[in-house]
This record gives sequence, structure tokens and C-alpha cells, in this order.
Amino acid sequence: MSDIAASGVPVESTAQRSRFPVHILVFLAPALVIYTAFSIYPLIDTIRLSLYAGDETGARYFVGLGNFTTLLTDPVWADQFWNALRNNLIFFAIHMVVQNGIGLGLAMLLSLPHLTGGSVYRTLLFLPTMLSVVIIGFIWQLILNPLWGIAETLLQAIGLGSLFGPWLGQESTALLTVSLISVWQFVGIPMMLIYAALINIPDDLLDAATVDGAGPFSVFWFVRLPLILPTLGVVSILTFVANFNAFDLIYAIKGALAGPNFSTDILGTFFYRTFFGYQLQMGSPTMGATVATAMLVIILIGVLIYLFGVQRRLQRHTF
Amino acid sequence: MADVSLHSIAKSFGTAEILRDINLTVDDGEFVVFVGPSGCGKSTLLRIIAGLEPVSGGEIRIGGRRVNEMPPAERKIAMVFQSYALYPHMSVYKNMAFGLKFAKTNKAEVDRRVRQAAEILKLSALLDRKPRELSGGQRQRVAIGRAIVREPSVFLFDEPLSNLDAALRVNTRLEIAKLHRDLGATMIYVTHDQVEAMTLASKIVVLNHGRIEQVGAPLELYRHPRNLFVAGFIGSPRMNFIKGQVLGLDDTGATIAFAGAQAEVRTRLGALKAGDEVTIGVRPEHMAERAAETIALQGRIDAVERLGEASFVYMRLDGGEDVIVRAPGDEPAVPGERFTAYLSRETLYVFDAAGQAVIPTSRSML
Repeated sequence: MSDIAASGVPVESTAQRSRFPVHILVFLAPALVIYTAFSIYPLIDTIRLSLYAGDETGARYFVGLGNFTTLLTDPVWADQFWNALRNNLIFFAIHMVVQNGIGLGLAMLLSLPHLTGGSVYRTLLFLPTMLSVVIIGFIWQLILNPLWGIAETLLQAIGLGSLFGPWLGQESTALLTVSLISVWQFVGIPMMLIYAALINIPDDLLDAATVDGAGPFSVFWFVRLPLILPTLGVVSILTFVANFNAFDLIYAIKGALAGPNFSTDILGTFFYRTFFGYQLQMGSPTMGATVATAMLVIILIGVLIYLFGVQRRLQRHTF
Repeated sequence: MADVSLHSIAKSFGTAEILRDINLTVDDGEFVVFVGPSGCGKSTLLRIIAGLEPVSGGEIRIGGRRVNEMPPAERKIAMVFQSYALYPHMSVYKNMAFGLKFAKTNKAEVDRRVRQAAEILKLSALLDRKPRELSGGQRQRVAIGRAIVREPSVFLFDEPLSNLDAALRVNTRLEIAKLHRDLGATMIYVTHDQVEAMTLASKIVVLNHGRIEQVGAPLELYRHPRNLFVAGFIGSPRMNFIKGQVLGLDDTGATIAFAGAQAEVRTRLGALKAGDEVTIGVRPEHMAERAAETIALQGRIDAVERLGEASFVYMRLDGGEDVIVRAPGDEPAVPGERFTAYLSRETLYVFDAAGQAVIPTSRSML
């Protein structure tokens, strides 16, 4: 106290400062300002815009939830919307099963105790994730091209040439093919996350299970898998959010029309066409905002189901 | 119940030789402690017995059966790990029952064994808890319980007390000793703490650089260390070593000059010759013996540690050697002052230039 008195600070202002913690505001302000300007404001404005309609003159008027009614019931809009949503769900399901399944398998292999060259495999498998999506799309279009792509030649070399088809061009296979290209690109992310969780499990625990009589499969099923469940939960929700926000790969390979005949159309490409317009279709900021808000709601529902239904039951383990 | 025998066990990781030519027999019901400094290979040896590490050479027999090729579960062993290695997602009950799941034990029997083990270890009230809700000592007991329920022939302990605080360590040490008496099972215990080794073992195996230095009962190792390493490792504070030289020999022993003094010490015949460089060993507790036939060594005090029942006087002899003297608790020693240590020739150890003890094996002490 004598120090304060000596430095000449009035006692009253000291008391005031302790009542209102200005320093907390000061530290929060930069993040709050940036986040508000670039994230919260646009989000709220998008939702506001989805409640308006515009005409040819550019005038806007309030229509309430009219745009959503149009989106879900008008045949022109509803067909496209439900088609995009269904395709998006398939896109997500393929990622969950194939990408995360293979990611888990690769992580298990990488965490083998006596693996030589582990870091080389790790880097190679993660490499596609760091490449530009445009390049990935271009490379795979070249590889799968029925006229001069190397895929057919490679399949013929191992006697499976008859299986080859123009996979990106057929309505029945295009979505699967695009999904698998995306899986190939992003498999490194679940692999790395799961790998990190696996090597975090102490060796003693696995040794203890081995001494207890558990074989390799039982060690995985009863010890390792339960201990990495929280990570699998995080991987799932990341996959969900990324898949329902996906756009770039399909745009790079198939363009915004997501052909053939909208068979690879997902919410992202649907939103792009609606908002910006494409070829003969006029862009509509208000309908675009409506689609964007619908996407927000869908993702929000998924995340909420995860947060309240799944994550609360998962227990993070410390060793 | 079973005995364990190791025949010329060798282990190397790549070019690094961890263990070489380990021969050892652990009798049925014996409590054997592997002790040695870190990196001496004691944990590796335990993991080899457990079946968690393959050997590079040699044979392991448990209960007379060769087990080299057997997985851990078939060796009828149970292991307690330094980190306890409890499954964090399972309750105490499930942790203990986990091993029985694979042994195809029926539910009623599993329940009986788990509850019995919990009873022995005072864990009955904690069976539904998760490991994170337990204290260190309780976790330790769960780890031991997990071993007990499997009713193994051989218990393996890998430094089980090193994560506990000092008071709990003493307690758990006594509990493990009691457990051994009650179960009568063969136990092999790894530690770097020679106090644990001395208090628990019926037989101590001192390891250093992947070799067995000496095997014997605790007091045997304390009284008759075979070489400098064992002499320095067993006993706390460690034995003092003073350089000396053989002056002459007669029928019963050698006259040795060290630190400005001379002593006639009984040695094995033919082990030494005049002029040999030797090392004199004397324990701190034998350096304050003001009896008739004593040797006095002068020096200056560096530091004094007062423990109450004793005072450890760290002194530098005039010959330049640092020694520790265990003096009575009321010793009025002050750092910086002169001090005299009194040795009896009966308590001296003599080691030749190669570090091997040259005392007669029949020697009795104290």
C-alpha cells in the first residue's frame, strides 16, 4: 500500500479499476472486432437477406419465410435442393466409411512398433491434402480420361481392362468417383489425427493387455478403439462440416452444373449456381442467401446432434 | 506355482547388446529382486520373462516348460507395471476382470475372484470407480489386483513403487511382502532402489551392463560383495573407496597402506602380491568405531547431514579421497573443521586392481 501511496495514484481510481475490469475488454477487443466484422455480421446479414426477395429493378422487399417455402415446395427449386441434399448425404457417407475407415487403418499401420520408413509413408499419404484442389481435379480428370487417360492402360496391364468405364461421365458413377477422388485427397487428415491419438496411448497399456491374454484384434477392439473414440468423434464432425461445405473439387472437375445431369450436384455447387448464376441461370442474392441459410441450418443440426448426443458420452482419457 | 530358470539368455537391439549370458534359477515361491542402475537391462530381462520381448539367444523355462515361443498369456505370469497401466475407460472391476475374459472363465468364477482380490487389497468399495477417480496408491493396488485374479504361477513387478510418494512406498512395500507370504507365489521384482531390494528380496540379483554381477540373499550381498560394483551399489550411503597399495604379505593376509595409514588385512591366499594397487572399501557405518584396535584417518569436513539418529559427515581425507562417515546423531562436527574417522581392520574390504574382492569367503562380520 505504501508503494501505491508513494507513486501518487489516487486511492479512488484504484478502487474503480478493480470494479470494472477494463483489461479484459482490451484483450478481447481485437478478436471480437475481427470476428464480428468478418464472421458474425456477414452471417446475420445473410440470414436477413434470405427473408427478402428482389425484382428486375433491384428493389428488395420483405417476404418472411417465403423464399424457404419456394425452396422446399416449388418444383423447379425443390427438385434441385433435394437432389443436392441427397447427393451431399451420399458424399458424406462415402467419406465417413471409406475416408475415415482407411484413415483409421493407415494410422494403425503407421503406429506399428517396428515400422521402418514410417515418416516417409506419413509424408506421402499426407501430401495430396496439401495440393490445390484445382490441381487434384485436373490430374484425376487426366488419369480417368477415357480417350487418353492412363487409368485404362493401367487396368489393362493387370488384366482388368474390361472393368474400365468413363466413370466421371456416367450419371451412375460420377458422384462415387468424385467422392473417391476427395477421399484420396483428404485421407491424410483422419489418418494424422487418429495416428496422434494412437501413439498417445502408452505402450505399457498395450503390454498389459497382451499379458492379460488379449490378441492383437482384442487389444484393438477392447483397448485402443475405446481410447481413440473421442478422436473418432472429432474426425466425424470435421468430415461432416467439411463435406456439407464442399464445393471446390466438384466445381474443378465438373463445373457449377455438376453434371452429368446434376448427378454430382451438392449443396455447395447448388448454392453457387443460385447465388452467382451460371450460364443461362440468373444469379439471385436473396435465393442464394436462402440456400446458404438452409445449409447453415443443416450443418447446425448435425453439429448439435453431435455435441449433445455424442460428445457428452465420450470421455477424454488421461494416462 | 512354478520355478523360473534362465539359460544363457542374450538380448540385443540391433548392434547394442543389452543382456549377455544370463544364467539364473528362481525357485518356486521365492521373491527375487533384480536391481541395478538404469540401463543395466533389468527391465528388459523382466519383459523377456513376461514374453513381451523375444530373446536373441538362450532358453527360458517356467515350471519346467520351455516358454520361449509362448505368448505372454500362456506363460501363467502376471505383470504389474511401473505406470500401473490400468485401462482408463474401464471400472476397477472390469480392469481386474479383463484378463479372465480371455481365459474363458465363467461369470460366477470371475465375480468370485475379483471380489476376493478386492477384499485382500481393500478395494471392495471402489469396484465401480474409474482409474482416474483413484489415488496413486489405490491405482497401484488395482494393478496388483489385476495380477492376483489371474492366479498366475509367477508375479512380475516392474518398478511398481517408483510413482508413489515416500510414505506410501514404505506402506505398499510392506503390503507386497505380506502378499508374498500369503500367496506363496514366485515373484520377480525389478527396482533400481537398493532399499526395496534389501527389504523385499529373499534373493537379490545385481545387474550391471547386461551382466549378473552377483546373486545372493540381501545380507550376503551386504556382507560379502563380490566386487567393487556390488559393494558400491548395496548399502546406503554407498561404501567408501580408498586407494591403497600392498606393502607386504604373510600367512594370514596382507599389509596395506592407504590414506596415510597401514593395516594388516586378511585376504585370500595368493590373491595379491607386494606392490599391487588395491582399493580399500569401508562402509560409512564402520568409520566411527572408537574401539581399541582402530585406524585413525584425518581429514577436513565438507558438509554434515543431521538425520537425528545419525549424522553423515562428508569429509575429505588428507590423501585427497572423499568419504562419508556415519557418526552418532549428537556428533558435534562442523564443516570446515578437522575430523578423524576411526576404522576397525575387521570391517575393511579389499578389492584388487580388477575390482574383485579378495577377502576370505569364510569371513564373518559383526
